[in-house]
Amino acid sequence: MKSRSHITFVSILLIVFIASSIGYAAPVRKKLAVQASRIITIAGKDIKNGVILIEDGTIKAVGADVEIPWDAFVIEAKNQVVMPGFVMAHTSSGLDRENENMPEVPFISTFDSIDPISTFFEDSLRDGIVAMLVLPGNNTLLGGTGTIVKPYGRTVEAMLIKRYTGLKISLRPSGNTSRMGHMQRFRRYMTELKDYLEDYQQRKTDAEEEKKPFDEEIDVTKQSMVDLLNKKLTAFIYCDRAADVPKAIEIQKTHGLNTVLVLSPDCYKAVGLIAKSKLPVVLDSQLIIWETNEQTNEEEMKVIPMIFHRAGVKFAFQTDASQYGRRYLWYQAATAVKYGMKRNEALKSITLYPAQFIGVDNRLGSIETGKEATMLFLTGDPLDAQSWVDRVMIAGEIVYERAKDERLKKLLEPPLEIQQPEDTD
Amino acid sequence: MRIYVILLTFLMLVSAFVAPGRAEITAIKAGKILTISGEPITDGVILIEDGKITEIGTGIDIPEGAAVVDADKKVVMPGIVDASAPAPVRGDLNEQSNEITPTLRISDALDPQSKALKRIVQTGVTTLFVSPGRQNIIGGLGVVVKPTGKVPQHMVIKDEAALTIVMDMDPTQGNRIPRGQPPVNFYFRRPGTRMAIIWMLRKSFFDAQQQTDSEQIEDPNLAILSSVLKDEIPIHVNARRAIAIRATLKVADEYGLKLIFQECTEGYKVAEQLAERKIPVVLGPFYYYPGSMGQYREGRKVNWNNAGILAEAGVKVALSSGGQPGAIDILTAATFAVRHGMDSDEALKAITIIPAEILGVADRVGSLEKGKDADIVILSGDPLNVTTRVEKVILNGKTVYQ
Repeated sequence: MKSRSHITFVSILLIVFIASSIGYAAPVRKKLAVQASRIITIAGKDIKNGVILIEDGTIKAVGADVEIPWDAFVIEAKNQVVMPGFVMAHTSSGLDRENENMPEVPFISTFDSIDPISTFFEDSLRDGIVAMLVLPGNNTLLGGTGTIVKPYGRTVEAMLIKRYTGLKISLRPSGNTSRMGHMQRFRRYMTELKDYLEDYQQRKTDAEEEKKPFDEEIDVTKQSMVDLLNKKLTAFIYCDRAADVPKAIEIQKTHGLNTVLVLSPDCYKAVGLIAKSKLPVVLDSQLIIWETNEQTNEEEMKVIPMIFHRAGVKFAFQTDASQYGRRYLWYQAATAVKYGMKRNEALKSITLYPAQFIGVDNRLGSIETGKEATMLFLTGDPLDAQSWVDRVMIAGEIVYERAKDERLKKLLEPPLEIQQPEDTD
Repeated sequence: MRIYVILLTFLMLVSAFVAPGRAEITAIKAGKILTISGEPITDGVILIEDGKITEIGTGIDIPEGAAVVDADKKVVMPGIVDASAPAPVRGDLNEQSNEITPTLRISDALDPQSKALKRIVQTGVTTLFVSPGRQNIIGGLGVVVKPTGKVPQHMVIKDEAALTIVMDMDPTQGNRIPRGQPPVNFYFRRPGTRMAIIWMLRKSFFDAQQQTDSEQIEDPNLAILSSVLKDEIPIHVNARRAIAIRATLKVADEYGLKLIFQECTEGYKVAEQLAERKIPVVLGPFYYYPGSMGQYREGRKVNWNNAGILAEAGVKVALSSGGQPGAIDILTAATFAVRHGMDSDEALKAITIIPAEILGVADRVGSLEKGKDADIVILSGDPLNVTTRVEKVILNGKTVYQ
């Protein structure tokens, strides 16, 4: 009896200890105040020596003359620049596999395929991305629905910001099909879908007239396409060539879809049409392409973001993980600034605009009262290659610190001394 | 007869007008001059005559009639030297008939109209080293060229600049006989292992050494290799992994070879050995290998600060585009080298004077000094900034990009 109570006591102690240690590992503070030497709000002008008040993960006040309450925990960011986290409006990275083999799979979701352990997410957080819409790849006609995640958390559920957002339509013919066949397949699908919906509506009205209960639900394999037609989902239409752009615009007009165009570099040739359609655009990660001028036989550099910027198109950047530079959203923005884009506009293209395109601008994309306290602490100007993301805060919680980034240290520091084997010959 | 007289007078008149034009002087007024060889000059002037720099410094009088390039608010630096550039050639870079082809010269295949050449000029590169491809163990002789001229001979500034050797596994690629098929193709005889690559290299130099002392070497391959043994031609070794680098060092020690390492992804692991032997390295191409961070083709870890660690250890480091046409421009490579830990002065040297020294053309290019070629890049701001753009490129005193 005595020993039993002893065990109970010890186990209770253990539980208390574990619980408390978990609690200490991630202190959740109700009230925070961030003191920064510069705040890039995106929403308005930059603030020098400003303060951001945060309560329960939401921004309560921003400004230079905000008083810090006595009970707030102060996070100092002197000599640092604080700005909203970067948002990526389209990516197919971080997935187990990007593309389904069949061309018409609007009912599948990237939610089932996101691999939280993929280093893509770890890299994204390190590079300052706080939210991204993960969509299926560009090889399937109706590829499936997307998921908005933050690159932090051990399960997809923990990473989740918004499920069931965006549906991928790719106009690039897959496999051996021609562009004719590809478009025909799309039209046939839409006709069949509309026939099905008419029949469904007919059955519904018939049941109502006969005063019978009607409990038939819409076919699950068609549900997402129906939601697309009802504007509950946004279509992300991928155009592989400039010739695909008019088709994308036609699809958008015929069916009245909420649309974001995802463009390959070649699509700059259709910039006039895109500007006229006023559709938002996600640019390819390759921002500069070379072309031979047929008349002068000279090589000309085409700066894609500048072409779209001059035409007045609102766009967002995306990254790819292969090349120096292109893997960072700030580098993409800096490249555009290099060739003449306005700095403010370039910064919006990696924060506010993508947030608008994927419908999370009520929470993310700028530092404003009422928005989520998700921000980056940078060691310098965001467009300077010598600045680093020092800390990342997501909803009031610091989730990344460069000083504790072991992987980054390994990539930058010389290896430990290895004893060289002596040559025996 | 009268016609001849008229023609003669006309010719004389024309020549009278043309002659002073030839000795034309160009003056560049610059806000900041990064000479590389010395301290930066603020509000300086560079005088150019006949494609050479005749005067550089502050307080220089601009002669009358000189064409003035106004770069008051700009930064001026020497033309960039790419010590491993995309080859401006027509056709394949790899000879498939043999693995040991030291006599092949890339200068025979140069194409002055190459697209790669026209593009690379616009990124500020004015001198480049071009070499045969990566499929042969001893690929052939590389050449230092300038991206100018209508005929290949005018481009060349140093032929037989280096002998290209590949010590990675690239020469073994695709050399195995497909299962169940007879070895009908002679490609299948090529090496399949790292051992074979090193053996073939060693054997080549052994054969050459046997003949070095003979008066006349009959085999042209051995003639080239023996001039390599006499240190007349340096060796440009492609090696990524530390194991390949160490193996090359061993062969080099045996024969007393003069090496330049290229690509050198794992150079940071052997930094001290390289510094000890005073072997320079040409890094690049620069990629973040996709998939998992820090992994590359041959499956070993990379270090982003490879350039910084090597420079710190005392190795001469040059940054290059690594012969990849799609790779980032060299200024960006230097910018990121600084981001990852390299000293910014070192990084600027690593794209100008150091590659020029490595290639043996430092007497002509690589810095802004009196008497050197007038290869000048005018930038909108600090060269190591992503938002800075190349505004003008002057090559041999002539504007080639604006």
